[in-house]
Amino acid sequence: MTYQESEAYQRMWTRKGLRSEIRAAWAISLNIWKIELSYPLSVLWFIVMPFLWFIPMLITGSAVAGSSESIVLNDLAGTLDWVTYIAIGTSIIGLTISLMWGTGFSLRREQNAGTLETLMTTPMGRSTLVWGSMLHNLQHGGLGVILQLAAAILLFGVSLNVWGILPALGIIALAIIGLQGVAFAITCIVLLAKQGWMIVEFITSGLLLVAPMAYPISVLPPILQYVSNASPLTWSTEAFRGFLMNGLAYQGVAQAVVALVILDIIFFLAGALMFRYTERYVRRKGALEQF
Amino acid sequence: MTIPKVVHEDSGAVESIYLRSFKPRLMDWQAAQVFAMKNLRIAIRYPANFLIWGILPLLWYAPYILMMIAIAGPGTSQHFTELSGFQDFVTFSIIAVFVYQYVDKSIWSVGNNFRWEQFSGTLEPLFVTPVPRISILVGAAFSDTLQCTFSACVLLVISSMLFGVTYAFTMVAPIVVMLTMMVFALYGFSFLIAGLILVFKDPSVLTELISNITYVLSPITYPIQALPSAARYAAVLVPSTVAIITIRELAITGLFEPISFFQASILMLVLIIGFWTIGILAFRWGENWTKERGSMGGF
Repeated sequence: MTYQESEAYQRMWTRKGLRSEIRAAWAISLNIWKIELSYPLSVLWFIVMPFLWFIPMLITGSAVAGSSESIVLNDLAGTLDWVTYIAIGTSIIGLTISLMWGTGFSLRREQNAGTLETLMTTPMGRSTLVWGSMLHNLQHGGLGVILQLAAAILLFGVSLNVWGILPALGIIALAIIGLQGVAFAITCIVLLAKQGWMIVEFITSGLLLVAPMAYPISVLPPILQYVSNASPLTWSTEAFRGFLMNGLAYQGVAQAVVALVILDIIFFLAGALMFRYTERYVRRKGALEQF
Repeated sequence: MTIPKVVHEDSGAVESIYLRSFKPRLMDWQAAQVFAMKNLRIAIRYPANFLIWGILPLLWYAPYILMMIAIAGPGTSQHFTELSGFQDFVTFSIIAVFVYQYVDKSIWSVGNNFRWEQFSGTLEPLFVTPVPRISILVGAAFSDTLQCTFSACVLLVISSMLFGVTYAFTMVAPIVVMLTMMVFALYGFSFLIAGLILVFKDPSVLTELISNITYVLSPITYPIQALPSAARYAAVLVPSTVAIITIRELAITGLFEPISFFQASILMLVLIIGFWTIGILAFRWGENWTKERGSMGGF
């Protein structure tokens, strides 16, 4: 019996549908976990990373505030508790960076490992590779969010409204759609420019700068406030924090959800189209495996 | 330098006076110079990088300044003034961000130098050359210091214009002296990191870890008094801490106090000797450890 006649081969070629793509994405996600967990330092970094990002912000805030309350922040954002405000807002940093860098560089990582062409010849959808990486980074970054929030509750006396946890997760789900659009765009940059990390660094750092993670957008210069309003990260951060601080009493829910849905559609469609055409262009040029 | 060659007709082997008279040395300054020139030549091929590295750190540090403004209002807070002795936290932070660029560079560039050579496939050829490895690192460190100085100055000028802060230009001479001492201490620090990276390989995680811990301990956006007491002792061991405190004092107040400057210089000298000793020992240990396991070129 030839390989082409084998059951595995036949099954592979007759596979189709969303379920098959989800299984492939899940396998990719598990594969990345296995690679990451084989480096002990990566595991250590994964655990301490959320604290190392949060601690300088906490010390800086303490140095200027002198207590756990800020009247200035109350005027700007409607809350006196700056520690909770920053702890919840910055907890999304790890998830965002994970999605941008981890997902955006998924193809480059496979290219460096010499497995990109092999993966591209499998019968899974081209974008499934990026989706699989996103699935992994969602778990990776999501665990980071949980770790940082848990540490903030246990060590720094941050309190969360439990009624807001489920709606906050819904906001994260909405945010991921828009951010996946950005990740697709980053993948295109990486496919075209190969390295391109500097452009990606500018995009990621720029999005983080205009996002209201540690400060309300009213402290930004007016031009950056416009940019901030056009970013899905802004609305997701505001709504995520709003739900976790105020629970179901969060006032800005309708505005945030509407803005997120609109931005999700724009970002996702633009990103997916960019990826589709870039991937075809790169394959046509025969530049998929070029470094 | 031209190396006269003698070709033995019978064996076809190539010998040189340099190799015949070669004796292991602790430091080869000529090799360091050649290596620095090589790195600078590569850097000059990408002129945009100098500008980018002058702008990119602004995106990383601006959130801290914006956060301070959101918590305390524009520019100042009573608690901050009591804690640090300075009025304006924006002026306070920007000069420290400028100095910290050298620390960042020493960790990411010099510490990772051999890792980049490994990626380029030139690490093993470099390691079979008859020059002390430390001279290669010193060469890399020197070229990175020059690049960093340019980028850090771009950063300082842009940040000062954006946030509207000014510093005492009359204090340039003592600032340069302190900066030079800090850079020398950082060379030792980067040798230590280079040794660790030879052993642990994975540069991103280890470097991120060291970089973030160093950042937390450095009094950039907060005075050292804001750290917990145990962390303050650890902070003094980071080569940039004393330099940041001294340079900030000079640049903001415009006053030169010989006694405190002398004390800071003595402390920096101790750090230079300490870090060079620890750095060279750690690097040699890392090199031997890697060679014994045959994992020099491994990823």
